[in-house]
Amino acid sequence: MSVSEILGGSVVWCGIALFLWLAVFGMGIYRRQYSSPILSLLLILGCICILVAAFAGRNETIFFPSPWFLGGVGINFVVDPLSRWFLAIIGLIGIPVAMFSPGYLYHLRHRISINLVWAGLALLMISMVGVVLSANALVFLVTWEVMALSSFFLVISDHEQRDIRRAAFVYLGATRTGTAFLMAGFLWAHHLTGSWIFAEWGLSGTEALGPALLIFIGLATKAGSWPFHLWLPIAHPAAPAPVSALMSGVMIKTAIYAMVRLFIVGNHIDTPAIGPIMLILGAISAFWGVIFALLQHDLKRLLAYHSVENIGIILMGLGVSLIGTSYHSPIIAQIGLAAALFHTLNHALFKSLLFLGTGAIDARTHLRNVEQLGGLIHRMPWTATAFIVGSASICALPPLNGFASEWLLYQGFFGMAMYGPSGGLRFGALFLMGWLALIGALAIACFVKVVGIVFLGVPRSQQAENASEAGPAMVGAQAILALLCAVLGVATTTVLIPLGNITALIGNGSSLNGIWTLPLPLLAIVLILTTGAIAIWMKLLSKAHPSRIFITWECGFGDLGPRTQYTAASFAQPISRIFGAIYGYATQITVGGKNRRLFPQTVDAGTTHEAYLETKIYTPFLRSIQRVSGVFLMKLQAGSVHQYLFYMALVLGLLIWIGVH
Amino acid sequence: MNALLLFTIQTANLLIIPLLLVGLIRKIKALMQNRVGAPILQPFYDLAKLLRKSQTISKTASWVFISAPIIGLAIAIIASVLVPWSSVLLSPGWASWTNFLLILYLLALGKFMTLLSAIDTGSAFGGLGASREATISMLVEPILLLGLGALALGARSTDLLTIYAGPINPFIAVLVGLALIIAALAELSRMPIDDPTTHLELTMVHEAMILEYSGHSLAIIEYAVALRTCIFLGLAAQTLLHIWPVYHGLTVFSRYLISIGALSVIGIALAITEGVLVKLKWRSVPNFLAYAAVISLLAALVAAAQV
Repeated sequence: MSVSEILGGSVVWCGIALFLWLAVFGMGIYRRQYSSPILSLLLILGCICILVAAFAGRNETIFFPSPWFLGGVGINFVVDPLSRWFLAIIGLIGIPVAMFSPGYLYHLRHRISINLVWAGLALLMISMVGVVLSANALVFLVTWEVMALSSFFLVISDHEQRDIRRAAFVYLGATRTGTAFLMAGFLWAHHLTGSWIFAEWGLSGTEALGPALLIFIGLATKAGSWPFHLWLPIAHPAAPAPVSALMSGVMIKTAIYAMVRLFIVGNHIDTPAIGPIMLILGAISAFWGVIFALLQHDLKRLLAYHSVENIGIILMGLGVSLIGTSYHSPIIAQIGLAAALFHTLNHALFKSLLFLGTGAIDARTHLRNVEQLGGLIHRMPWTATAFIVGSASICALPPLNGFASEWLLYQGFFGMAMYGPSGGLRFGALFLMGWLALIGALAIACFVKVVGIVFLGVPRSQQAENASEAGPAMVGAQAILALLCAVLGVATTTVLIPLGNITALIGNGSSLNGIWTLPLPLLAIVLILTTGAIAIWMKLLSKAHPSRIFITWECGFGDLGPRTQYTAASFAQPISRIFGAIYGYATQITVGGKNRRLFPQTVDAGTTHEAYLETKIYTPFLRSIQRVSGVFLMKLQAGSVHQYLFYMALVLGLLIWIGVH
Repeated sequence: MNALLLFTIQTANLLIIPLLLVGLIRKIKALMQNRVGAPILQPFYDLAKLLRKSQTISKTASWVFISAPIIGLAIAIIASVLVPWSSVLLSPGWASWTNFLLILYLLALGKFMTLLSAIDTGSAFGGLGASREATISMLVEPILLLGLGALALGARSTDLLTIYAGPINPFIAVLVGLALIIAALAELSRMPIDDPTTHLELTMVHEAMILEYSGHSLAIIEYAVALRTCIFLGLAAQTLLHIWPVYHGLTVFSRYLISIGALSVIGIALAITEGVLVKLKWRSVPNFLAYAAVISLLAALVAAAQV
């Protein structure tokens, strides 16, 4: 009897999780006296059930029988290796997020309704599980909308602040637009095939292009790919940190899931044009995200831009996979898909780790601006260590998990360069290898900036000076994620087994194990042993010649103050200037005072930049919509009861007329 | 017996050649400047001296400051065992260890720690150095990857051992060799990107980062720099040696001797250039590295066309 037989079907476990989460939802909505730890525990139990469903349950398809119908279509769910992969991501991220939340939400208790946040978190998890299990377009759309709305309520939980309300509405607008595209694409696909069930679509050729593009735009908006990324850097800073972690780590990945489901696995919509589009948008996204991240001073905004970067990397993997398929090279298709899915998991881990770290800093200092932080490594040592591990993994440094998935993506590019049918494609693949290296190096610069300015050096403000380590549950949540980052980096061969099950769906037999040649576990051991040996040697030398801890480089001016340190803006300045043309980067220095040439009294230096995509394209577009609605629609909706009664009568008349004819 | 001999040679490689190369470069540079210069063995004396000294650690420093040089040296040692900079001494079974992506990213890990350690003490110079070093490595990383990628495409493998075991198209070898030399100048903080002998903190890049180190920590940093000098110049030397079509067919020992010779030739050439060139203005560094980027793009183009 195998493990999966003992533990039963995945859907059963998802059902148990659903009940647990519904309980949290209900408790969050109705009663106010439940304490956060109980709700947190229930959420964690639900996540554990989801993990059981992901790892031990069986593949199965479930149709809910009538009378449970939705618009004439049966409600049906499917569990296959792909949805189990995403179930695992939801469960793995859900546990630390739920662990972290009570401690974090406590510092917001005067501003937000904590119970409503728990209700929102539960609903978000339910809907995400629904999205990755749904087998037809209608169930998908319903759960997708619940997901969008619950995350909207979570973003707006601190609704007394004006900019948070604004951010939430930007998010709502973006996600509604995305859903509109998605809905249009689904309707089109339904029109072509006459079915709502994904597995029955089988669209291909030129007729697939229209729905494919619409669906892709809808999903790319949710994923936050360039040029649809503008909501990410606005919504993430507004949301509470655990919500950002869940949204950036998991929620935007459901769009990746849908892309894989519809375009790659199972050929529901088979159109070769999507592959190059994904590759190009991914390449732009990855670069765009990281160069904008370098300019940000708000920690969460910076991390949001890194989500744009990583979604770009994932999209590049999907693009490689589709291009590999279209050139009949199943190996490349499998490597690309494996790289994308593996990076999806990895990004979920390290990005939620980084968001939780930001949340811990926020809870202890009430600051998110990097320029006001500093020296936190002495005050919050565990958070700092976990954050450094997360930063190293997002920079794809071995032996952590980010490297493993980016290496697979490099192999995908290299395979394309070897087996590509045309010279242009082969050169393009090699070029993208260099491009990915550029993005990696930029990410290193960005995270050196973050870690260096936030955690190292001297505190730049009183709040940072008075910071103390976060509570044990908050540290524990980060430690779990940091450990997972390290473990997945080394144990890649284990991760490749479930990945192989997914990639087997698009090619005959799994060829992944032959691809992974890196001796990472051994290398990690060698690295640790060598480091340990040198460390012991250094220790012995320090014992023989004791070190002195003292002020260095004070130059007779006394102790180093926070103002002698480098700032984040200065750190990013050389790189920002190189790419300055992309975002109108400029530095200003204002010198003030009576005799400002000889005796300046105030000197202000700062940098400015402009996101042209937002200011030159989106804003004018939205303005023109507002203008049109201001001129025409406002007159229709004047707020006069008589007018509305007239409309109603008019519509009634119209309906009667239609009915008669 | 053969394995034991190779191991001895490899160890000697690691302990002697890097420091000798640094001493040689300094000596030639001194001669170029009409000085007698320190003896070639001076780096050994310096290292021995530093190891016997105690260090001063800044009050603001954390564990990052202590551990960065240690991790940096560990990575430099591992990388210099794996990278075939002094010809192919490893047996072919090790090929998968020498994956160039792995090695480049491993070196990037060392750089990540070094950059952090520079900021750790809270001094302005450290931040300045780290910021510049991050910029330079942002420019260098794609050059290295594209160049080595072009070589890898010819060999149809991303393992350096496999790449350097077979013949390389001489045209690609010339291009990649050139790109690697320019990238190495930047990566190793040599002229004209950075002046390793400067005494003015404002013009420093690498020196500014390690300004706060002293005693045995400084010793292992200097040693790691010497190792990295060998790795990068050695990669360039190996690539350029493959222009000579007979080279990859020679025996291991003759290849070893030839590549040590090539390494010293490149070292001498480097010293002569350093004696002749002036340091570039910081703002012109990207333009200078753009040459290398174009060269490696060209190499990639040729390699892609040839497959």
